[in-house]
Amino acid sequence: MNYLIPETLDQALRLISSQRNAKLIAGGTDLSVQIADSLISPEILVDISGLEELKGIEEKNGFLSLGAATTIDELVSSSILPHCLVQGAKSIGSPQIRNIGTLGGNICNASPCGDTLTPLIALGGILVLVSSSARRKVRLEDFFIGPKMTVCADNEILTEVLIEKDYLQGRSAFRMTGKRSGQVISQVNVAIWLEAGKSREIEKIRAAVGSVAPVPLRLKRVEQALKGRAVHERLLKEVSELINEEIKPISDVRATDDYRRRVTVTLFRDALEEALQGFN
Amino acid sequence: MHLEFICNGKKVSVDVPADMRALDLIRDVMGLTGTKEGCARGECGACTIIVNGKAVNSCLMYAVKLKGKEVFTIEGLSEESGKLHPLQEAFLEEGAVQCGFCTPGMIMSAKALLDRNPRPNEEEIEEAISGNICRCTGYAKIVKAVTRAGLGNNHG
Repeated sequence: MNYLIPETLDQALRLISSQRNAKLIAGGTDLSVQIADSLISPEILVDISGLEELKGIEEKNGFLSLGAATTIDELVSSSILPHCLVQGAKSIGSPQIRNIGTLGGNICNASPCGDTLTPLIALGGILVLVSSSARRKVRLEDFFIGPKMTVCADNEILTEVLIEKDYLQGRSAFRMTGKRSGQVISQVNVAIWLEAGKSREIEKIRAAVGSVAPVPLRLKRVEQALKGRAVHERLLKEVSELINEEIKPISDVRATDDYRRRVTVTLFRDALEEALQGFN
Repeated sequence: MHLEFICNGKKVSVDVPADMRALDLIRDVMGLTGTKEGCARGECGACTIIVNGKAVNSCLMYAVKLKGKEVFTIEGLSEESGKLHPLQEAFLEEGAVQCGFCTPGMIMSAKALLDRNPRPNEEEIEEAISGNICRCTGYAKIVKAVTRAGLGNNHG
């Protein structure tokens, strides 16, 4: 295996479009384990974790821009990010993993249970994918096409994630459950962003769930059902049924499908309640 | 690949294969065997080292990533005279060591915490060592030891 460390984004783009069987690496916290387990065998690793073009959290042109090489720990420590994204970032791995793992890595690793994915879908996250010849934007909810599969081409690099500043208004919350409280992979995770009136009537809402379908899922029918209505017990029962119709969990090493169904509803209600607080 | 970095205050200049882990460079090439290999997949924290002030798993990190960085391993804590670091003293005083295999990693995670937060509370300590597993399950004494080292910072 060869390990290359480009100094600029242009160099990195040239490398991945000219070399066969090259794989991008940032923190490497997922990738190094996949390589050690021989699940993948790239001939060349192109390390983009040091590229200045991919770093930092800043406001520009009506968007919040998060560089793809921003570490998970930098997300946790940020004071300007929406709450659900900070909560999601906090629940990833351990301090050691958050110190080197990156946002772009969590996204491109494309695990259905990634803990930044549901928050970013709830926040309307837009990915910027760059190749040597083009630059395109893809909504995060359209990015995943299956477990570990995305629409990102071999010659593209995710450079940044954009969040429209409108989503800095409103409130958001994230919930996950795992087998213990630290250093664990989500059995289910839920993120909700919303704006509401004083009597808990929901004006705008976006919701997403993870680890209960082949890809992180935006709950569009649930959003429709909640929009314009005040949250009360009868509505929540209706929503619980819709959630169960929208998700398609499987049983695996981390949890059974039945457990995931029950927990998704509970986590959704918890997250909704937290996001609604402050509008009361 | 050639790389240079600072390890425990000393300049290191070394050639490594591209697929070598930082853990193997530290243990097998540099002979610093205080850093342990436990799970080899970032779950146990026995291999924790500090890179540019941050605790990281050296089993998940390719050695080339250390290029130009400032690295600390457990061997870098005590002084050349043999005088122990306050954290090491506190672990001894509190009896926070059973089999000892997790201890270097625990101490490195604790050092990264104390370096940015000299007097952490119990919750902050538990969070800082949440990526370090002690299979003897001696967590209570480990938390006490880190608290003790932190209190020492108050007087120093």
